[in-house]
Amino acid sequence: MAEEVVMLTGNHSVSEAVKRVKPDVIAAYPITPQTAIIEYLSRLVDSGEIDSHFLRVESEHSALAAVAGASWAGARTFTATSSQGLLYMGEWVFWTGYARLPVVMAVVNRCLAPGWSIWVDLQDSMAFRDAAWIQIYNKNNQEVFDTTIQSYRIAESKDIALPVMPCLDGFVLSHTSSKVILSDPEEVYNFVGDYSDPIIEIDTGKPFAYGSIVMPDKYNKDRKDLMEAMERAKAKIKAVNKEFSETFGRSYGNGLVEKYGDDDADLTIVGIGTMADETQQAIDMLTSEGLKVNSVRVRTFRPFPTEDIIDIAKKNHKLLVIDRSVSFGHEGHLQMEIESVLKRNNIDTPVIGKVMGLGGEDVPYTRIAKVARENL
Amino acid sequence: MPTTLKDLMNNPKEALLKGHFACAGCGSALAFRHAIGAIADKAVVVIPACCTSVYQGFGRGVAFNVPTINVAFASSDAVAAGIKHAMEKKGKEAHVVAWAGDGGTADIGIATLIGACDRQDNILHIMYSNNVYSNTGGQRSGDTPIGARTTTTPFGNKAQRKMVPFIMMANNASYVATASVAYIPDLVDKVKKAISYDGFKFIEIDASCPVAWKSDSADSIKVARLAVETGVWPLFEWDNKSNKAVLSKRGSKFRNKENRKPIEEWLNIQGRFKGMSDEEIKNLYADVDRQWTFLEKFLE
Repeated sequence: MAEEVVMLTGNHSVSEAVKRVKPDVIAAYPITPQTAIIEYLSRLVDSGEIDSHFLRVESEHSALAAVAGASWAGARTFTATSSQGLLYMGEWVFWTGYARLPVVMAVVNRCLAPGWSIWVDLQDSMAFRDAAWIQIYNKNNQEVFDTTIQSYRIAESKDIALPVMPCLDGFVLSHTSSKVILSDPEEVYNFVGDYSDPIIEIDTGKPFAYGSIVMPDKYNKDRKDLMEAMERAKAKIKAVNKEFSETFGRSYGNGLVEKYGDDDADLTIVGIGTMADETQQAIDMLTSEGLKVNSVRVRTFRPFPTEDIIDIAKKNHKLLVIDRSVSFGHEGHLQMEIESVLKRNNIDTPVIGKVMGLGGEDVPYTRIAKVARENL
Repeated sequence: MPTTLKDLMNNPKEALLKGHFACAGCGSALAFRHAIGAIADKAVVVIPACCTSVYQGFGRGVAFNVPTINVAFASSDAVAAGIKHAMEKKGKEAHVVAWAGDGGTADIGIATLIGACDRQDNILHIMYSNNVYSNTGGQRSGDTPIGARTTTTPFGNKAQRKMVPFIMMANNASYVATASVAYIPDLVDKVKKAISYDGFKFIEIDASCPVAWKSDSADSIKVARLAVETGVWPLFEWDNKSNKAVLSKRGSKFRNKENRKPIEEWLNIQGRFKGMSDEEIKNLYADVDRQWTFLEKFLE
């Protein structure tokens, strides 16, 4: 079976990637808009197309607990969730991150209640930015497919050993079909490799205790190690992006950020997710009007691309940061991080923040262009 | 052949090593030693927040001689199921045990317990019940008997006891048993029998807690034995193939009320029941009767 070019939703793009990496254990609980991912995978498992164990658990809390258990036992794992489901598994999101288990969990971004709404914003995954997970936000369904594959290479590297959360905007990507190149299954599997030499593995007759009481000195050492692994992950994500490009001919900026347009712009629009992709159209429109603008898409929110942000701020004149999530009582999450990076590095490039697109609000490129013009 | 005390003394594989932190007279530590000791060669133990997550010791000095994974409170069975599925996929044999207290089983853990049972995940859940949240200082749990003074029921618990074994029978676990730290060979036999079943297995152990029960640590076995002899804690096993319950040899005669000691004998050696009113005692008797009435439906 060779490469295929198909029209595919974001959810199916995740499933097609997971099918190719062949996880040993999958556990999941349904929530809109994640459902199609796990429906497709359960069909693949029950029909024998993939040789995985699929646990249909009674809650998201148990979904992540079960894949964490499997990961401790040395298995390759997968789960997926959204919104309230992510919050409900919250205890395990931190547990998995702090345990440094190489779990891959697709998060289909959906806003939080009340009131009930199933549409996109990034409030759900942003709430877990401190949970020691690598978070990679995607712009289209091709990237969703590619990032899901890359996630395993990153998570399962022994020098990284961190869970990875590929994030895709609910409905905008999850339920919208677009062209996706599905790479050859064997090539994909070869790219991720098997997981026969796991990071951690339980064997009977080999007693060890994981997660028992720890004193402050050891606790702090573990957290310092975690911070260093996150730092190393930046180079790993870049390297995997590069190697993926060499193998499959597709890449996403340098892996951490994707720049669009020329440097030395009067205004640089920084964004994340599909809104940052939409921004590229706004850049085309504004450039054709003779304005000096460019854009940056933050692909990896954790680890945060500090060095890239410094470089971008130094080479341009003003940053307009567009967030699709907000910390109430403060400001947008992306803006917060960027301001902190600039302040720490004594860079005085002005930063303007704008929160848009909450609760699935449609943000067309014309509106982004309008906001840009207002701030030029 | 039923296990004898001599067999226990000669068990070549010690599950609980020196250096654990359990209190003197801890029923849980005693039960762990023998229940897990019976299957130690192939055991993997998953422990949610409970006394066992503390008394195992810390750092490199953990006193458990089996692979041990400590996990979040409401998730022991989900983690155990994940481990078991992963090991099956890798072609490894293991007896994966979720070892949880009454809080982690009957209360916060009950959704994941029943979820694993629904799927017939091939694991054993051992609930050691000290009838209280011992690890946090003795608050009422769903398994606290009527009348017990706990730190959150300072004037006596009014709620009925949650009989998790019956819930697991109704939910078609493959094997369900009750056991007591007063009858260790019986406990060991039940653990060995449980692992011979495919699917989800459940055992609840009445495990004395001198701290929460305000009893003498030297009386831990005596209190547990009195629970059986007064009928408070029926010892039985049941499986889903026969849908029949069988009373354990040591507890069978207490089916007949005339053979039971008065519940007051069990109450009086524990400080937690001090000051119980006649009405509370009446309610406790009624709650014990309720348990037996349910169990009788499954006895020959």
